[in-house]
Amino acid sequence: MVDSVRTLRRSVFLYRRSLGAVVRSVLEYTADFWILIVAGIVTQSLGLVFLSVVMARVPQINGWSYAEMVFIYALAGISSSIVPVVADGIWALAGLIHNGKLDYLLTRPYPPLLQVMSMWVGFNGVGDLVASTVMLAWALASVAIAWSPGMVLAFVVLVLSGMALRIALAVASNAVSFWLKMPVPMFAMALWQVGELARYPLGIYGLAMRVLLGVAIPFAFAGFIPAAWLLDRTGYAWLGVLAPLVAIAAWIAAVWIFRRGLRRYESAGH
Amino acid sequence: MRAYATMARLSMRTTFAYRQAYALGTAASCLGLVASLALWSALLSGGAQLGGFTLTEMKGYMLVTFATNWLGNAVGEWSLANRIRDGQVAIDLVRPIATQRLMFAQVAGGFPVEVLIIGGAAAGFVLLAGPVPAPQRPLLLSVSLLLVIPLRFGIGFLTALVVFWTENFHGVAWARNAVSQLLSGSLVPLALMPQWLQVTAAVLPFASLTSSPALIYLGKVDTAGALGLVGLQIFWTVAIWFGAQLAFRGASRQVTVHGG
Repeated sequence: MVDSVRTLRRSVFLYRRSLGAVVRSVLEYTADFWILIVAGIVTQSLGLVFLSVVMARVPQINGWSYAEMVFIYALAGISSSIVPVVADGIWALAGLIHNGKLDYLLTRPYPPLLQVMSMWVGFNGVGDLVASTVMLAWALASVAIAWSPGMVLAFVVLVLSGMALRIALAVASNAVSFWLKMPVPMFAMALWQVGELARYPLGIYGLAMRVLLGVAIPFAFAGFIPAAWLLDRTGYAWLGVLAPLVAIAAWIAAVWIFRRGLRRYESAGH
Repeated sequence: MRAYATMARLSMRTTFAYRQAYALGTAASCLGLVASLALWSALLSGGAQLGGFTLTEMKGYMLVTFATNWLGNAVGEWSLANRIRDGQVAIDLVRPIATQRLMFAQVAGGFPVEVLIIGGAAAGFVLLAGPVPAPQRPLLLSVSLLLVIPLRFGIGFLTALVVFWTENFHGVAWARNAVSQLLSGSLVPLALMPQWLQVTAAVLPFASLTSSPALIYLGKVDTAGALGLVGLQIFWTVAIWFGAQLAFRGASRQVTVHGG
């Protein structure tokens, strides 16, 4: 027990140190650092512009008001923007495999998955996070949620589950690179774009898309479904309570896929 | 000239070699198309109109947006940006062929695959999403769509040159993409936007990337108007091409080669 606590603390410490080293190196390129943050803010705001422009003329989409749409959009945005901040290195996995550079990581006494994840920090995520938080704060003031201590706790748990789920999905989809052997993580990038679709109410989609976003690749649990639950909607909103379980399941799957892939890794020479 | 033709051919072969990647990219952008179809269908259900666009017209608009987002998308800016970043551009500078034309040849080589993707997706879209208005003024529309390729290339090339100073491309590329999505009309038709954004879009080249061909497709402009839009596209294409040439000449004095 004491041992595992010590291992955990050491892992967290090393992870932080690794991210810190990246932060220092990124700050060497000051101009790009600021451009990245602004780019994140602008990118996140695009959806808000879309919603504002069209909903200035149409009061509701599929039964959801403007404030509720912004709430869903921002909640999903917060979940996804944590990925570039704490685990952006995972996107480098495909390149590491392709060039055989994963070898170095395997010789170090620290889990390879954590080493890869902490290899890079995407400062656009900081911009994403700022923009999403502002949007969420505005939406929270405008939507009707019956706040109580339990509800606050549920809100925090749901946000954290959403973040964990998005990181797990990023890990799992990038780990597929062990099989695809392309230098660019095309599969993960395609999947990430699919995740953007879960920033709108599932009800607007047909059955196939609902199954895709709710079951097959459960992006909806990092945005729409928890939001619907917090807004106390009927229908499938009750699924919101499952979000933490979905996140845990996704992590188990992600680690499993990564380990299976690592066993297949055969160094350079593809 | 032969060197450029060879580069275009090689680039075409590369797109076929990475067909897995292209298939995934296509699948993802088709899902994006499905999503915007769902959103607009929810918005414009029951014959509603937004900014003068009916649902049927919006479907045509989405199709043009899909096409213009694919055209001129092969390689280009990222490969230049990476070469500037790691200093390999120094080798390009001593080559007896012009970097800008070489890169454009590579982009042009991606054209056949892009046409295949757009054609396939368009056919599927019309079959599944139901009535889509037929394209108006096919000749002017084709010219307008073809102009998107050199224009997108020019904008990308010019953006990549910023790397000579920032030494990293991610931020620049994302910021440019966001601005371009907004002001090209690929997010929402420009007619729906507030006045100040419409004015901004009118004086910048991005509208020529998506809005112009879309308006021609839907017949939202008469023949004179369509000719005017194409003329503006030509102006921007030429201006940015030569602007980028000048900028490249100036920027290459700024090469920083790391390591040694």
